Amino acid sequence: MRTEVVILNKLGLHARPAALLVQATSKFKSEIYLKKNDMEVNAKSILGVMMLAAECGATLAVSVAGEDAEDAVKTVVELFESKFGEDQEE
Amino acid sequence: MQQEEKSIQVATLLSDCADRFKLRLLTSESTLGSRIINAEISRPGLILAGFSKRFAWDRTQVIGETEVVYMESLDSATLERYLDKMCAFEIPCIFVSKGLDAPQALLDAAERHGRPVLGTRLGTQDFTRRFSAFLETNFAPRQYLHGSLADVYGVGLLYIGPSGIGKSECVLDLVERGHRLVCDDVVHITRENNETLVGMANEGLGHHMEIRGLGIIDVFRLFGIRAVRKRKRIEVVVELVNWEDSGDIDRTGLDDRTTEILGVTLPLVQVPLVPGKNITVISEVIATNHLLKLKGHHSAREFNRSLLEQMKQVDYIDEVSE
Repeated sequence: MRTEVVILNKLGLHARPAALLVQATSKFKSEIYLKKNDMEVNAKSILGVMMLAAECGATLAVSVAGEDAEDAVKTVVELFESKFGEDQEE
Repeated sequence: MQQEEKSIQVATLLSDCADRFKLRLLTSESTLGSRIINAEISRPGLILAGFSKRFAWDRTQVIGETEVVYMESLDSATLERYLDKMCAFEIPCIFVSKGLDAPQALLDAAERHGRPVLGTRLGTQDFTRRFSAFLETNFAPRQYLHGSLADVYGVGLLYIGPSGIGKSECVLDLVERGHRLVCDDVVHITRENNETLVGMANEGLGHHMEIRGLGIIDVFRLFGIRAVRKRKRIEVVVELVNWEDSGDIDRTGLDDRTTEILGVTLPLVQVPLVPGKNITVISEVIATNHLLKLKGHHSAREFNRSLLEQMKQVDYIDEVSE
């Protein structure tokens, strides 16, 4: 399964959101990959996710393969849409 | 994982490598947007005589003394016609070597069609050789792979396997025992000379690793310069697999398994793991065993050979006693 997500939180995909993402993806059996430009990384690897240096406004391609792919995609999309719980005070 | 598509903008080439290749732009800056799209270099050859069939227009073109002298020998109307025909092709970049004066007709035609012409002070052969190596490096097939790369007794071991199986912990243990980390988690692999795979970290990643429970650590700061290296040839792939999934793993080591990365075949060793199992010593033996095999000694086969030999002798004794 493939979809796209956009980074909505101001600071981009820094350590904390990356950790939240990795925690969420690690619960799934599916292989989950994120791609920015020509760089594709395992979404269960915190260093990999951080290396994307995905800034606010950047678009990431998400590709998921496995038995629980549908739930995994849903979780990932929701996490990005929730801005990882950041930018709340405004 | 997917391979990168690459191209080099001539503007970037000029700003980054002007000194290295002794370059000077001979056309206007408006031509600098052109992109080199492959690693091939060509001499224009017969296109300069108006023969355009099979002209390798998508390659970087190098014009040397022969071409310049030939162009000077043509009358200006003919030359202009031929050059116009040549530059109508979408040539990525034209180099004039040896610091020669490029014929004005060439510069005019290139300018009209928006093709960049760069002069180099290097000799034709020297330039071609150096520039070709530069392009080879830039256009070498590459990919990112989820894994960890370490140098164990000089052998490049690439660890792969599912998230959380303990690749990083294994490499950290190796570092502790005096081996060296190349990179963890995301290995940037380049194929060199069509047969060698070289792994390294991306700039951003450096020698950081993630150890569960600890978070992100900097191996270079913690263990020093001897614990790290920048790049390493990948020689053996070590796949860490869950103990439960290890049913069909070879127990004898008689058959050498292989795997393929970027079209290069590499020996593959599959190691079954239970959580917390320490495979540092196993890793060291994988490396030394690989070195032995390179020297021509295959332990599993030698062992089996002597076993077969022994059984043959038993047959012989049985025959004698009958």
